[in-house]
Amino acid sequence: TLLSDREEFEQIDFLKDRHVRFFQRTLQVLPERYASLETTRLSIVFFALSGLDVLGSLDVIDKDLIIEWIYSQQVLPTDDKSNLGRCGFRGSSHIGIPYSTKGPGVLHPYDSGHVAMTYTGLCSLLILGDDLSRVNKQGCLAGLRALQLEDGSFYSVPEGSENDIRFIYCAACICFMLDDWSGMNIQKAIEYIRGSLSYDNGFGQGAGRESHGGWTYCAIASLCLMGRLEEALSPRELDRIRRWCIMRQQSGFHGRPNKPVDTCYSFWVGATLELLGVFRYTNFEKNRNFILSTQDRLVGGFAKWPDSHPDPLHAYFGLCGLSLIGEPNLRKVHPALNITQGAFQHLQQLHQTWRSGCGQQH
Amino acid sequence: MYSSDRKEWADLEPVPQDEGPNPVVKIAYSKKFSDVYDYFRALLKKDERSERAFALTADAIDLNAANYTVWHYRRILLQALSKDLRKEMTYITNIIEEQPKNYQVWHHRRMVVEWLNDPTEELAFIAEILSQDAKNYHAWQHRQWVIQEYKLWDNELEFVESLLEDDVRNNSAWNQRHFVISHTTGYSDPAVVDREIQYCLQQIRKAPHNESAWNYLKGILQDHGLSSQPGLLEKVLELKETHCSPYLLAFLFDCYEDALENTKNTEEQERQETLSKALEICELLAQEKDTIRKEYWQFLGRSLQSRHGRSPSEEPPTTFNLQSVSQL
Repeated sequence: TLLSDREEFEQIDFLKDRHVRFFQRTLQVLPERYASLETTRLSIVFFALSGLDVLGSLDVIDKDLIIEWIYSQQVLPTDDKSNLGRCGFRGSSHIGIPYSTKGPGVLHPYDSGHVAMTYTGLCSLLILGDDLSRVNKQGCLAGLRALQLEDGSFYSVPEGSENDIRFIYCAACICFMLDDWSGMNIQKAIEYIRGSLSYDNGFGQGAGRESHGGWTYCAIASLCLMGRLEEALSPRELDRIRRWCIMRQQSGFHGRPNKPVDTCYSFWVGATLELLGVFRYTNFEKNRNFILSTQDRLVGGFAKWPDSHPDPLHAYFGLCGLSLIGEPNLRKVHPALNITQGAFQHLQQLHQTWRSGCGQQH
Repeated sequence: MYSSDRKEWADLEPVPQDEGPNPVVKIAYSKKFSDVYDYFRALLKKDERSERAFALTADAIDLNAANYTVWHYRRILLQALSKDLRKEMTYITNIIEEQPKNYQVWHHRRMVVEWLNDPTEELAFIAEILSQDAKNYHAWQHRQWVIQEYKLWDNELEFVESLLEDDVRNNSAWNQRHFVISHTTGYSDPAVVDREIQYCLQQIRKAPHNESAWNYLKGILQDHGLSSQPGLLEKVLELKETHCSPYLLAFLFDCYEDALENTKNTEEQERQETLSKALEICELLAQEKDTIRKEYWQFLGRSLQSRHGRSPSEEPPTTFNLQSVSQL
């Protein structure tokens, strides 16, 4: 078109109601072709809830009912506490444990939490205004400690899995939310993170691996949550990382040099730049135009690319990307914890209560 | 063929998924799907170690290859029943071909390779997967693990070069180049560094607009001082005339910045000239060559000026203060 950037900027409209309905439908029923999401359903719940929160539309759902379902995914300690190293939250009921929102835990040879589900479970509870009083913190932290390897990285489940920087981020979020860093060895985690810094000044999933926007976010956000950013990385390193990140903008952002742009990187890279204090130097118009070009005008949500099918992850991160640039009517998102400022304030109030000894602590 | 119709399963009570009164993000499974998983859950509960369990895991994987519990259970059965691991490798190969971005199957492959203690098929297999998607992160990760674990460095540089012949902009291949060299000869030998610089410049001449090549060049030199490599600045200035790119200009800026930071003994006159050239580059990038990052290049110019020039201070960027709610 012959529109200037500024005119294009105003013309593409943001279809808020469609997105609200997209997330509402996500929370209800998905067709069988979404089967691969079964074990990670709690993270999909998080995308929908946090998405609705960013949209200022949590009122469209029944918070209490969802809180109950989330608590039913908690792996609680058995009476004899023999399963402490397996506690946390499941992604779903796929193992077949009978539905229950309270303890004691049921002993089952294959039931255990998953670090990303514990992280998104806790976030989801906070977003819904829950006070975490039914979270078995001792269990969650013991489950977390059981997942950390010698090299500082984490498995996702105690049975073993791949181990990398994603799960360090999940662990950092869990410790931050529970206000208890006994869940991890911070020093080792920092060593692993530093070891993942590539020659080109982005972070890979582990040492030697290609730098990538998602892993860079995990590295920087983890260090911020730990309060160790400037301790772990020198000013020169931080400047180099800023450069790597800011070079990811092509229109929207991509995740690696010479790869196509993808909506979710508007958050992964955008939030990293925000944490590093230089997001303001990016081009907001081009970023916005790209994100909105991936908006599905019919069913709502966002896709990774234009003319592609939307999914809950890209719908959520598309919104977060817009929130970062100050899109009107979107709530602000905390760039390290990835929940709204409202949910973050609720967490801070809980922390104050716990620290003053007024609240329950397991 | 549903499991519930078969006599071989009659002794087992299927275990449905118990979603409670208000399931969230419920997935609507067909009867066929539920059947397989209802029996899977029953087997899990008993921790049964049998051939029928092993066979069922294949059906369960076919329906949802991302279910990490199924894969874990399958590994337990592989060992408990002393299954043929070579056959398992074939099975894994087929699944990766169909679903090359699935975390669980790649992890499973790594476990079986470890049990067999035999990596001989791996490099060829990964090369096959990369021929379909030369940037598949899982494939590269597995490749790095195999090479490092079994010390298979010998032909990897050659492999990297062939990929860069196919696509000089393949960032994964550039990364692999750095991986191989840093674990073999290293970069402390000046002959190696020279060779790598020449290689980069050669690739840049062929395809100037290639961030990967410039990132590699900067990456191998940045800790020893970009401005300390003799003759490099001159070569880059030459290339600027015929093979310019935002990356070339950024590299030049970094050279000038390095000269200012790390050569304190130079005369003030020369320093101001260097500063002036650096600021010119910022302007060129901001106004013409990399306008999407205009604000950033101008900010860098101001920062450089405040550190080395005679101008008002530019505040360093403030990293996010986690404790401050007011920042939001």
